Amino acid sequence: MQLNLRSPLFVSIVILSASMPASHAVSEAASDALASVESFASIGDTAARSAAIFTELGKVLTHPRCLNCHPAGDRPRQGDMARLHQPPVERGADGFGLPAMRCPICHLQANFDAAGMPGNPIWHLAPREMGWEGKTLREICIQIKDPARNGNRSVDALIEHIGEDHLVGWAWAPGYGRQPAPGTQKQAGALVEAWVKTGAECPN
Amino acid sequence: MRISRRELLKSITASGIALSVSRLAIAEEPGFAARETMPGRQGWNPAATGVGRIDGVAKVTGAKLYAADFRGADLPGWPQATSHAMLIRAADATHIYTGMDLSRLSGALKPAVVVTADDLARAGVRVPQFYAGDLLCPVGKTPLYLGQPVALLIFEDFDAFDQARLALRDATVLKFGEETGPVKMPNYAAFRFTRIAGPTADAPDVYSPVKNGWVSPGFTESSGHPVWARLPAPTGQAYVEAAAYGEKIRAELAANNPTLLVLDREFETQSIDPMFLEPESGLAWYDAGRKSLELVVGVQSPYEAAESVAYLLGSANGAFKSAHINTNFAYCGGGFGGRDHTPFPLYVALAAMFFPGRCVRLANNRFEQFQSGIKRHAFKMRTQVGVDRATGKIVAFAADQALDGGGLANYSPAVATTGATASLGLYYVPKVDVTTYSFHSRGVTAGSMRGYGTLQTMTALEVLVDEVCTALPLDPIEFRRRNALATGGRTMTGNPYIVSVRTPEILDKLEKHPIWAQRAEEKARGRQAGTLVGTGVACAAKDYGTGGDACVGSVEIAPDGRITIHCDAMEMGTGVGTAVANRVAAHLGRVADEVAVARIDTYGPLALVTSGDSYTMDQKTQDAAARNPRWVPAISTATTASIGAHVGTHAAAEAARVIFRFGLWPAALELWGIAPKDRRANQWQTARWKDGQLVMPGLPSLALPAIAARAHARNGVTGAMTHGFNRWAWSQATFQLAGQAWTADIDALAVRRGAGKYARINRSNVKFPPTDFNRIGTSYTSQCGTVVRVEIDRSTGALRIAKAYSVLECGQALVPELVVGQAQGGFAMGVGYALHETLPPYEDGPGNGKWNLGQYLVARGSDLPLNGLQIEVLPPVDPAERPKGMAEVVMIPVVPALLNAIYDATGHRFRSLPVTQAMIKGVLK
Amino acid sequence: MLSVTINGRAYGPREVRDELSMNDFLREYLGMTGTKFGCGAAQCLSCAVIVDGPDGTSYTMPTCIAPAASFNGKSIRTVEGHAKNGELSVLQKAFIEHFAFQCGYCTAGFLNEGQVLLERLAKKPVARADLEKTIVEALDGHLCRCTGYIKYHEAVRAVILADPGRYLS
Repeated sequence: MQLNLRSPLFVSIVILSASMPASHAVSEAASDALASVESFASIGDTAARSAAIFTELGKVLTHPRCLNCHPAGDRPRQGDMARLHQPPVERGADGFGLPAMRCPICHLQANFDAAGMPGNPIWHLAPREMGWEGKTLREICIQIKDPARNGNRSVDALIEHIGEDHLVGWAWAPGYGRQPAPGTQKQAGALVEAWVKTGAECPN
Repeated sequence: MRISRRELLKSITASGIALSVSRLAIAEEPGFAARETMPGRQGWNPAATGVGRIDGVAKVTGAKLYAADFRGADLPGWPQATSHAMLIRAADATHIYTGMDLSRLSGALKPAVVVTADDLARAGVRVPQFYAGDLLCPVGKTPLYLGQPVALLIFEDFDAFDQARLALRDATVLKFGEETGPVKMPNYAAFRFTRIAGPTADAPDVYSPVKNGWVSPGFTESSGHPVWARLPAPTGQAYVEAAAYGEKIRAELAANNPTLLVLDREFETQSIDPMFLEPESGLAWYDAGRKSLELVVGVQSPYEAAESVAYLLGSANGAFKSAHINTNFAYCGGGFGGRDHTPFPLYVALAAMFFPGRCVRLANNRFEQFQSGIKRHAFKMRTQVGVDRATGKIVAFAADQALDGGGLANYSPAVATTGATASLGLYYVPKVDVTTYSFHSRGVTAGSMRGYGTLQTMTALEVLVDEVCTALPLDPIEFRRRNALATGGRTMTGNPYIVSVRTPEILDKLEKHPIWAQRAEEKARGRQAGTLVGTGVACAAKDYGTGGDACVGSVEIAPDGRITIHCDAMEMGTGVGTAVANRVAAHLGRVADEVAVARIDTYGPLALVTSGDSYTMDQKTQDAAARNPRWVPAISTATTASIGAHVGTHAAAEAARVIFRFGLWPAALELWGIAPKDRRANQWQTARWKDGQLVMPGLPSLALPAIAARAHARNGVTGAMTHGFNRWAWSQATFQLAGQAWTADIDALAVRRGAGKYARINRSNVKFPPTDFNRIGTSYTSQCGTVVRVEIDRSTGALRIAKAYSVLECGQALVPELVVGQAQGGFAMGVGYALHETLPPYEDGPGNGKWNLGQYLVARGSDLPLNGLQIEVLPPVDPAERPKGMAEVVMIPVVPALLNAIYDATGHRFRSLPVTQAMIKGVLK
Repeated sequence: MLSVTINGRAYGPREVRDELSMNDFLREYLGMTGTKFGCGAAQCLSCAVIVDGPDGTSYTMPTCIAPAASFNGKSIRTVEGHAKNGELSVLQKAFIEHFAFQCGYCTAGFLNEGQVLLERLAKKPVARADLEKTIVEALDGHLCRCTGYIKYHEAVRAVILADPGRYLS
């Protein structure tokens, strides 16, 4: 879904309140938009611009679609209310679950909308060191740049990871009963690229 | 609501024992009744040798058993194809419903039939009084409650139904207009229970519900809240008198008397779903040609369901008038009260009536089950207790209880009174004043659920008692000893129990148990390890029975000794089929070869009639009615209130006694060559069964098959059918049989001799329990105590139950493994209720149709001390002690024990449920 | 299209709608109601069947959240397939003898899960000290409202302890 923005101001559409969870219909204009890279041009100072871009990206990173599988511990979260995943599954040795409840058993190759069941060919938890539940944007930023904690990626590699990875991309097409992440994957990728190009600065 | 005898006989007919062949001539397909009769076609009866349940093989092989399992093709004679219906339910109860938009359902998705309130009115459908309220909300009205059905849609086949379901998910189907706010309805019930004891234990009470009657306040505020003050009631002085005594008690509590410790505390409990694993469903077929309606449903109240459907359609017109209603009752995948007096079968019947000639299925998915299934009442309670500091004895007690009954009245009045009259738990208090009322709200209907109000009131009580013990201070076991109601002592309503009261033994067991005895050391050890360790104890005394229970059953023995049982109790997991087989085996020497439960239709020979309401009728009416030898206060009632063992097996047990006394015993005498005049001929009560042999001292043992063969050959009694009624005591009657006067706890009897037919024996006199026994809170009680040790992680508030012990008594345990299983299941349900489960009321709650198990957290194995829970069942006080009900009592003390353990660990007293990890973390420094 | 082997018997090929769940295929199309419907959201696992992989491994899988079409080419076992020629399996007998279930509605799921666990342990035994934890992990996805789980665990443990050479290291 491509938002066509003509002005630096962006239209923000309020996400449904937390008390109306899960199975509410996803309407065409329901998700938050992401600001375009151009909209940050007015910030003169490069470092400040970089940090501002990351703050915008933070809307994606801290959205339930991402946060639910980047938990602090070994249990994923679930749904727009980000409650603990039921049934109680755990990361296991490889991030794909314990022997009796492997992620791919229920989370199939694709979403099964008739049952409201999300799916992706490699559905699994992000490694423990990539968990950022409960962290500040600054902490997330530092962590995401740290090769020891980001799967040994350079910041440039993050552009492809966030902008093009298939499992990451699921966040914008999560299936029935789930709010997509803000904007589009392409827009998120563009923000990552702009952030990297401006020095990958972290917000305070 | 009672329908006439003639209407009843017309509507309740023999169910499908006659195996009619289905249209596709699948000759092997068993009829419904055959499928539901245990042990089933496989033949192996695990109960025969005590190694398992009678329904064991059926359940481990996935045999069709539950209402959810059946489709038209499974039932001989039914249409082969099954159509599928759905209810559209309103998730708005504050705006006027203005209409429905089904435009999304076009082409293949179009329903074959759409039924609205207008259609019901045109058809002349009536709502039974118990379920008063629109079955379908009409256009122009604000829905009475969240989740109230608005329309019934019926689809030709499953594919259309399934696709329609998905299409409607995204759509705004129901339109609403003007905001009116929630619909206001009068309170469902309000009562005040006051007792003032006389000067000594034996002296008559000054005032009590049993002595003076039950009273209700006559006035309400504009908010709907009852006015409990001593205003003159329009109908007389009765309420005024109770209120006067009640106010004196409260004044005493408020008087700042330094010799008394007075605690005044509020406690709040939450709405809960029974969460039985099988969502409600039903199958029905209206054969317009024969004017015959067939139903398959799974409910705890089969007789009531059949009656209600008959009433629903009783004055329907034209095409909707059926002459014949045949209800088939399936095993249930859990019940816990939520399947007792549920309106679901009414909708199943309507689906068939509006799509005649078809087999129609109506089934809740889990979202719909949460949205519409019966809930546990949320209670708000204020409790005051006054304890003499010197003696540690409770001298006065007052409580005020308010129950949110949700959208329909259902059992709200009964839950209120049962909860109120259990407010003292196992204690004796000479001055008590309890007010209770249940109110209508736009929430999901609340009704019967395990504990039935007593779980809520006794949780508040036992948490308060724990606080009293800390404040006095007094050891919690010693406090209970000093205040325990003794055998013969008077309960809150003013009557004593008529069964054993075993509080001292329960307390002794708790006190001696290592979990309790070592609590101080364990707490210290926890401190060293950085964990908060706490131990909590609580006890409960729960009634069993409703004060209006009826049972009907029959037993037959074949010439080879094989035994068949029919009874009206239904199976929802409690194992009543195995229990009744064991109880009958005690009399006849052999576990039944065939048990059919939930049968309300096979007792024609008794020719029972009934009238009136057993709970409200006066003595004159009952005496007049009783003159008809076929009249009973109720024919068959719900399987509820922990009565499976006490009531559900009773009729069959009494039938078995008759067969023994008048069939097997005379046959045995003949085989022994003992003459009728011989002194030993009367010693039938001395005979015992051992390994299928009848044993009498000094005589050779006789094998059952030989005795049964002889009984048949000599045309002795080989089958008996009985009816029993219990209003806090059994009805008793005398029957002339083989020249003897046989007096037993039954009020109707028919016998079969040899291979003949059943013949009624008119009772020669009968004693029904007096109608003023309706003033009794309960005369039956069983007790359970629980001690539990918890470990709380300081940093996260996560609670682990390390160990627990529950000790209970239940008279004669008919199947010990089932009793232990109930206690384990009750423990788990108590853990869920105390720590995990909760449903917000109103718009955020399940009435919005969005709740499922991802949000509603029931206890899993990992939440429980799977290897650390010990259950002990006390033996009966003597071998003749009858079975008691225990399925509810085993859940109750778990809850306050956990809260008391949390207090012991954290120093914080929680006064609401559930107590979640986040809440515990919140109080940890 | 769906071709699937159930308890050793081939079904299909037949056309199935994209949105048809496997649970509905079993219960509505085939009338195989031994596999239950409890929640429709993979929370209770009353609907779980055994999937037998071509590599000889098996796992349980909820049928309520999977399209029937996703089972194309698969081989599964349901509760109806545990007994052979009228002879109950060791686990079925243990469930009966231990009074493991009450209403029985969750039993098919527990049977399938227990069976898979037994087969897994037979290939890769565990230490006795780890047995209870292994059983809890295996069964914890299954909800039961009647029993409190204890007798289910006892039954599974009893089968394993009766044949330690096969299941324990």
